[in-house]
Amino acid sequence: MSLTRRNFIQMVPASAAALALTSGSTAKAAEPIHHVTVLGGGFAGCTIAKYIRMWSDGEIAVTLIEPRANHVSCVMSNLILNKRLKTADLTFEYNDLQLKYGVNVVRDKALKIRGPQKQIRLKNAGWISYDSLVVATGIQFDKIPGLNYKNAPHAWIAGGSTNKLRNLINKMPDTGTFVMTVPKTPYRCPPGPYERACVVADILGRRSGYLDGSGSTPPRVIVLDANPGIQAEKSTFTSAFNDLYGGIIEYIPDAQVESVESDDPNSLVVHTTQGSFGGDVINVIPTHGAQSILRRSGLTGESRWADVDPVTYATTNTLFQDVYVIGDAQGTSQPKSGHMANAQAKICADSIIRTVHGQSSYTEERLQNITTNSACFSPITYDKASWLTAVYSYNPDTGSMALVPGSLGEAHNWSTRNFNDMFDWSNNLFADTFK
Amino acid sequence: MSSFSTGLSSKLAIISAIVILPLNSAMAEDPTVNRMIASQCAQCHGTNGYARGSFPDLGGDEAKDQADHLLDMKGEDRAEDMMDHQALGYTDDQIRRIAQYYSTLPESGDD
Ligand SMILES: Cc1cc2nc3c(=O)[nH]c(=O)nc-3n(C[C@H](O)[C@H](O)[C@H](O)COP(=O)(O)OP(=O)(O)OC[C@H]3O[C@@H](n4cnc5c(N)ncnc54)[C@H](O)[C@@H]3O)c2cc1C
Repeated sequence: MSLTRRNFIQMVPASAAALALTSGSTAKAAEPIHHVTVLGGGFAGCTIAKYIRMWSDGEIAVTLIEPRANHVSCVMSNLILNKRLKTADLTFEYNDLQLKYGVNVVRDKALKIRGPQKQIRLKNAGWISYDSLVVATGIQFDKIPGLNYKNAPHAWIAGGSTNKLRNLINKMPDTGTFVMTVPKTPYRCPPGPYERACVVADILGRRSGYLDGSGSTPPRVIVLDANPGIQAEKSTFTSAFNDLYGGIIEYIPDAQVESVESDDPNSLVVHTTQGSFGGDVINVIPTHGAQSILRRSGLTGESRWADVDPVTYATTNTLFQDVYVIGDAQGTSQPKSGHMANAQAKICADSIIRTVHGQSSYTEERLQNITTNSACFSPITYDKASWLTAVYSYNPDTGSMALVPGSLGEAHNWSTRNFNDMFDWSNNLFADTFK
Repeated sequence: MSSFSTGLSSKLAIISAIVILPLNSAMAEDPTVNRMIASQCAQCHGTNGYARGSFPDLGGDEAKDQADHLLDMKGEDRAEDMMDHQALGYTDDQIRRIAQYYSTLPESGDD
């Protein structure tokens, strides 16, 4: 069944209620001039839903389609492992988007996009037409032979998996072995896996007494990196691995996972191109790409990610008109981070609003001022953190986003000040995205 | 009388052209471009510049003060803080636009 825009608004009771609210609060006109459908209620999807509503003064209707009742942030989720945070601290509801901004939130899962027909298929609602579509569905893991997430949780899409990993670490022997893998680039959150290695080394190092000298046997944290070297904050992590956690962390580059033994929780082994490694707990973070809906629909082409024009974030596949891809799913060379997903959402929101108003996104003034930026704070110990930041700017000659020289920076050392700043930063990022 | 009045208005026009020129050139800018660049600060400084926690609010600051502050960070001999690196990511003109944008927003809000 193919539905028109108006039908879609009317077919879902929750959406009708939200729109009624909107018209009362922010919307100028009762009848929206355009309808944007957003797939995925994570960092990218929530930011664009909010900013389109806010910047269009309610003139553009936004429907957000998300299969889950709420979003558990990956950002800060390594702090669930050392119990500095609980999942509830990182869980965001969609109430603010609905009530403050009049976003129409529909709980459903998108299965397929038909570009030429401008339609999407939803698991519950079937085929729906869209005016404009924003795809912000994050990542999907590659299949690894033998990998059973019940016994070897990834904790790379936060939620139950993160809690499971915390519980396994909690129960493992104090001087046991933790084996983890780093996926091949590009992957979600470049410093994230190294940060995780530090957090786990800190948990076990303190528990065993090895870090304060009260215990003489070190626990082991084996980091199997599919890449030839550390991918972010190299000097920070090199000194954390070699000095602070020397004797605990063993870093092995060029180790690509071939298969895993994980059906028996008492016999967990990761087989890689650099040998086989058994552990009391194994944490395999598989190499990943965009969600299969993008691949199935033809938005990723040959690549694992969707090619987009960073002036608009429209797909470069011309069969898909008015389709945009933002956040981790898109394939520019910008880092895959929540901060960056938020940044891209604003560029895309501005472009969609322009298009709706018949204005070009390619004015010289705009092209000269397309910037995005990223920031990541990494806990290195229980109460100290480092950071990484960078600004990207559009280069009209290459048609791509380029790192601005000098803007790439990392903390000179890990500190409690950075640890405290990490909470101010994340609270602002969360608020700008979800509230 | 009418010629006088015409003369006066053309004189005024000349004076205002001189006085208002910088403002006029600022007004010729596309305000949504300024909004787009400035929104890139909101991840840390809050939607519309209303920050949570200890990070500074941006809304309602004098444009010149804020631009000077950012230009100082950009000019540090050795970038140390995250903001020194961030400031290096923007042209002087972009910094002026960001500061201009936030100076037009109210000082505090409920975001
Ligand atoms: C341990 C860890 C630490 C991190 N730390 C940082 C950090 O310090 N700073 C930082 O900036 N970033 C950090 N990140 C990265 C950040 O979490 C991601 O880059 C960010 O979540 C990407 O946003 P997104 O919107 O593209 O995807 P997501 O936030 O994952 O959102 C995707 C959404 O789409 C939904 N979805 C999926 N499929 C469908 C479908 N078919 N239909 C509808 N909806 C669908 C999902 O349910 C989900 O809600 C970290 C990540 C990890 C794992």
